[in-house]
Amino acid sequence: MGQPVPITGASVCNALGADREAVREALWSGRSGLVPVGASPVKVDVPFETAVGPVPGPLPSLPAAMADWSTRSAQIVLRLVEGLEAPLARLRARWQPHRIAVVMGTSTAGVDRTERAYRDYRETGGLPADYDLWRHHTYGAMLRVVQMLTGAKGPAWMHSTACTSSAKPLASARRLIACGAVDAAIVGGVDTLCAMTLTGFHSLDALDAKVCTPFSAGRGGINIGEGGALLLLERAGEAMALVEGVGETSDAYHISAPHPQGLGAVAAMKAALAEAGVGPEAVHHVNAHGTGTHLNDAAESAAIAAVFGDGVPVVSTKGYTGHALGGAGAMEAVMAMWPLLEGWIPASAGAAPVDEELAIRVATERTTGRFTRVLSNSFAFGGNNVSVLLRAP
Amino acid sequence: MSATDHKAPAAAIVGVGLRLIGYPTAAAWRAGERDETPPKGALIERRSRRRCSPFTKALAEAYGEALDGSGLVPAEVASVFGSALGEVGTMIKLLDTMWVGEEPLSPMAFAMSVHNAASGVVSISTANRGYTTSIGADHDTPAMALYEALGLLAAGAPGVMVTCGDDGVPVELIAEDDGWPLAAAAVALAPVEQAPDAPRIGWPTMQGGEPVARAALSARVAENPSAGMIDLVDAVLGKRWGTVALDRGAGSGWSVELWGG
Repeated sequence: MGQPVPITGASVCNALGADREAVREALWSGRSGLVPVGASPVKVDVPFETAVGPVPGPLPSLPAAMADWSTRSAQIVLRLVEGLEAPLARLRARWQPHRIAVVMGTSTAGVDRTERAYRDYRETGGLPADYDLWRHHTYGAMLRVVQMLTGAKGPAWMHSTACTSSAKPLASARRLIACGAVDAAIVGGVDTLCAMTLTGFHSLDALDAKVCTPFSAGRGGINIGEGGALLLLERAGEAMALVEGVGETSDAYHISAPHPQGLGAVAAMKAALAEAGVGPEAVHHVNAHGTGTHLNDAAESAAIAAVFGDGVPVVSTKGYTGHALGGAGAMEAVMAMWPLLEGWIPASAGAAPVDEELAIRVATERTTGRFTRVLSNSFAFGGNNVSVLLRAP
Repeated sequence: MSATDHKAPAAAIVGVGLRLIGYPTAAAWRAGERDETPPKGALIERRSRRRCSPFTKALAEAYGEALDGSGLVPAEVASVFGSALGEVGTMIKLLDTMWVGEEPLSPMAFAMSVHNAASGVVSISTANRGYTTSIGADHDTPAMALYEALGLLAAGAPGVMVTCGDDGVPVELIAEDDGWPLAAAAVALAPVEQAPDAPRIGWPTMQGGEPVARAALSARVAENPSAGMIDLVDAVLGKRWGTVALDRGAGSGWSVELWGG
């Protein structure tokens, strides 16, 4: 059992809005940010129908001194850092720069810009003059942008485990703080829309041609979204919420399909509870991974039912935002804090009528109540599972 | 001294592995015995193997060599894979399929294009339902992979495999003269008290002393972002105790202290 770690600041940006308040307002009112791919303000050239969740623009430009690092991911990072001004100032006042880690997650990094550059290469035989692999494509590029914008100078790395990428940093940071390696960490993740991920999920027959409806009887697959979140974790500070436990497991079953009974997911949820030293009855809400594919929702529902029974209200927010892949874990951890902060959970968008085969209680209406602990799930290719347990301070 | 002082041993190195073009194992590398056989990925279960890139197979080979004889339990050990660019070659092939061939993508090729392909395949092949991750931090990848691993050990993990490598970057994305060949290296880490006679490392630091001699890599291999992990493995094999630089000048200057057993 580890010491809970305070979350002292959080920002989020996705299809629902460009900042935390806009996202909150949309979730409260039940408004989805998903649009047909052909109508998306972020242009993604794919020869099939689906819906996507673009971050509403325009995004801010990087400072002139950082202009060479400009990518859509970097601009989203800047938007997220802007949303942390006050808590970040407090964090910087408390800790030395080299004692502040940056641990992030992504699956796409700068691939949207690389896609454009590579298209130029195929058409002209050369990359664009302003394209630089190390400033526009790599994981290190995004880490460097976060460091330059925040002043953090401690260890910095990116998890890239597909759809669990930005949930894992919460666990890494918790371990680093617990053992004294750092005093604080800026954690989170960002993914952006690009043709390759849409085409890839289309090849897997996993995309819904229309707006996705996780947990519904008629669900037809996922929609891809973009965005991300940043959270500040500190050894001590004014907590919005506490990271009380994180479970990280593998299915050891299949590279792209979940274990049918969700055994790895069950183990991740139980591990998060065990870290916190609490039983399933202590959890008042589960933010599901809830992608909207038949297999994923069935396996996750079986896993949630195995751990919690059918009493705990379950919500998927992917009907609002789409699946932000490597950005989803952090994004949903931030959105899962509203039950703790304000005592409400959003309706699971598009879930009604709920698939009767699923043995869980899906919240199809916004629900108010007392939520002391929430669990947020992220599952990924490779059979990678992460469950994050958050507690009210 | 804090629990993470870089001058204090933080983990024992109970196994090492290496996979270079021309040298399929650390033992072959030390003996100077060339073997041009491409990576086969013997650790990977048969059904998955044919879907894996040579890069994933190379990571699995380095992982397997470090695990063998380490005393760590394959189905229980935690794993940290590190790579600056991951399956970038697979990504280029997928883009060519989309835009040059204008063909549908292979679903399996897409699934195997993720950064954690090796992480997933190794967990399946070893029936390991525990912790695994895949990270990247450009030329700081070896140092940051060790950071993540030492954090896991500090939290009670009984052992952690750290495997870093990078495939050759496609010439479409980087000038050929700036490229490097495929290379992978691995260390198996255990708590110090469990292996008192094994070499030990401290936490990575940017305040290390004068580094010990680096591995005698060709100039091209030395450009690989994971060269620092090769240097660590070579220092263990050569019993060169002291400060080991974890990058070859293109990173932030992380190093690690290495002590003999």
